[in-house]
Amino acid sequence: MTTPTHLLRQAGCAALLCASLGPALADDFSFSGQIAFHNDLVQIAFSLIEPSNNVRIWTDSWTSGLNFDPAAALWQRIGADSSYSLLSQVDDDDTIDPGQGFYDTGFMLSSLSAGQYRVTLVAAFNAASGMQLSQGFAWDAEAPILLEQWNQPSYDPNANDQKRGFWRVNLSQVSQASVVPEPGAWLLMALGLAAVAPLVARRRTATERITRGTT
Amino acid sequence: MGRPTKTPPAPAPVGTSRRGFFKRSGAATLALAATPMLPLQAATPGGAFRHGVASGDPLSDRVIVWTRVTPPTQRSAITVDFVIATDPGLTQVVQRGSAKTNPDRDYTVKVDVARLQSGTTYYYRFTALEQQSPVGRTRTLPAGPTPRIRMAVASCSNHAAGYFNAYRRIAERADLDVVIHLGDYLYEYGPNTFGSLRTPEPQGEMVTLSDYRTRHAQYKSDADSQEMHRQHPMIAIWDDHETTDNSWKHGASNHTPGAGVAGEGDWSARVNLALQAYYEWMPVRLPDVTRRRENQRAFRFGDLIELVMLEERLSARSQQLTATLTTPFGPNTGFVQFGAFADASRTLLGPLQEAWMAERLRSTPARWKFIGQGVMFAQLKLQGGPLAAGGGVFFNTDQWDGYQPARNRVYEIFKGNANTAAVNNCVVLTGDIHSSWASDLSQDPNNANATTGGYNASTGEGSRAVEFVTTSITSPGIPDPGNGLAGQLLVINPHFKYIDFNQRGYMVMDITPQRVVGEWWYVDTVASISNVQTFGTAFETQNGSNRLQPSAQTTPPANPPALAP
Repeated sequence: MTTPTHLLRQAGCAALLCASLGPALADDFSFSGQIAFHNDLVQIAFSLIEPSNNVRIWTDSWTSGLNFDPAAALWQRIGADSSYSLLSQVDDDDTIDPGQGFYDTGFMLSSLSAGQYRVTLVAAFNAASGMQLSQGFAWDAEAPILLEQWNQPSYDPNANDQKRGFWRVNLSQVSQASVVPEPGAWLLMALGLAAVAPLVARRRTATERITRGTT
Repeated sequence: MGRPTKTPPAPAPVGTSRRGFFKRSGAATLALAATPMLPLQAATPGGAFRHGVASGDPLSDRVIVWTRVTPPTQRSAITVDFVIATDPGLTQVVQRGSAKTNPDRDYTVKVDVARLQSGTTYYYRFTALEQQSPVGRTRTLPAGPTPRIRMAVASCSNHAAGYFNAYRRIAERADLDVVIHLGDYLYEYGPNTFGSLRTPEPQGEMVTLSDYRTRHAQYKSDADSQEMHRQHPMIAIWDDHETTDNSWKHGASNHTPGAGVAGEGDWSARVNLALQAYYEWMPVRLPDVTRRRENQRAFRFGDLIELVMLEERLSARSQQLTATLTTPFGPNTGFVQFGAFADASRTLLGPLQEAWMAERLRSTPARWKFIGQGVMFAQLKLQGGPLAAGGGVFFNTDQWDGYQPARNRVYEIFKGNANTAAVNNCVVLTGDIHSSWASDLSQDPNNANATTGGYNASTGEGSRAVEFVTTSITSPGIPDPGNGLAGQLLVINPHFKYIDFNQRGYMVMDITPQRVVGEWWYVDTVASISNVQTFGTAFETQNGSNRLQPSAQTTPPANPPALAP
């Protein structure tokens, strides 16, 4: 299930030799939040203006089972049509940063070309359904289960752990990064705008009435 | 790794613990009789699954399956896949899944497999690190009308004291629904302290987390233990030696609190470490992960049996008192039920567990109420006497005899009162004392007048329940040539129907709605690997009788589910 990251590293070496890295065009980012359900999806977009040989991406939120066991996938934008292709999918890798725990995940990318990327974070192991991000994930069709009511397959029955939804993703040496709002979040924003719009209109109307002096 | 400078504990002085006397006196004798240091049993093959597979705590819809992964080098997360099927060849798969383990769990794997069918035999296997585990066999509890259940009962499996031949005999039986282990599943001692046939790992008393884990790993490396676990689900409770000898809520006779060379640290911390290793290495379901000492659980076998498994050491037990009277066993070996022994605030179970058990026993619709617990419930006297005359001289302060008011509260459940009905058909299952006992249960067994609360030994009238005590798997008992001691105790204690000190083995309980038969099965030796077992004796209790009568060996059901290959 895991695409070995060393393939990425090897593939990148040749490109690295050709590339002349300019002045620092990269920064470090850290994003965190909460998921509520077992099949929730977190997406983080990042970009590289120039090729890089030292991008690191990792979670450090598992915290010995205080929070859910995360799995991550790395996707690269292909072409201009917003389609993302799978580069790598990792359930457990705690070698990226000393702050990680056994079930944290991440990528050590010794070569990554310039471009647009996505990191997706899921509860382990809600695996990608295909090589395209648009194909979704294995548990997408399941009825959502609240994390506190869910026994994640990797949980410890002796501790009844991994019942909380806090997550944190760290990105080191990327150009730009941001959390991609969930489609649900867009919908909520749209609904919110829709709800506010008539009020605004009404207020404007009222204001106009006052301005016009009509009663 | 442990405390390398620690010296083996000296044997506890006789007199502080009758049970210590039972155990250690036999150890010395056995050590003399044994050939000098038999070679260690051949190591089990290496590989990722060298500690075998196990299952436990079956309910009607779920069972825990267990294994341990041994990685070739230190690893962080290890994913373990499992498969559950209804046939030994694993072709009729009902579930597949995965779990994980890591160093913080000592690489142990525990999966509570749900959504299973009741009363069904399953076969399972784990896969990790590109290796397959042996195939295990397990069985869910029945639901609804249940015509018959057969269970093996074991206790006191001391690796150092001998070979687990009795476990192998249990493993070979395809006719069992479950194995009950009543505690002292493993022992804490270092080499040549209590048993010298096999060398304990680590070579010292287990005190640290690493010690407890290493000892569990040694027991789970034993081929006979592995086979017993592989073929049957187990319902286990701990007694004292899973922590250390004669443990109680705030200490143990074999725990030296404090720092320094002889100090074994804080008791509460030691219990936490012992229980961490216990829950890691045993196929046991925690009732409440925030109250890890409260290990009491209930199991319902359809309409036939309600089994309560009690916790009698760590959650509430009051400290054992000291015997002060001189008996034929020596000074400070007897006591009477006065003074602190009559203190009703002293407890084995604690008020919460007492109430829980009372509610379970009173409310269950099951025909039989089984009480699986650690220490002998029946009175054991060295000098008989009716209750009105003080009750005589008792022997073992660690058993219920040392907690008589607490025992009386259990009798109140059996007998009922103005507010609650009597609870009939109670069967107590006990281990702990490396010997076999069958007993009617009476509060006043030396009073022959049943109409005044006594007990008629010839008719059993006055008995409120029955008790079957299984002998040890290996731990030595008192040598009793010619059964002279057993004969004496049978005279003094008329409620005992059978006593044997000499044999190691296990019990088979055969339960139908009409009767419960308890069979004692004995192995010929624990000093070497042997395949010989013999039927010892059998007693039974009939529905509604609350007393024992002689019985005969039962016939196993035809065509039991195939053992795992």
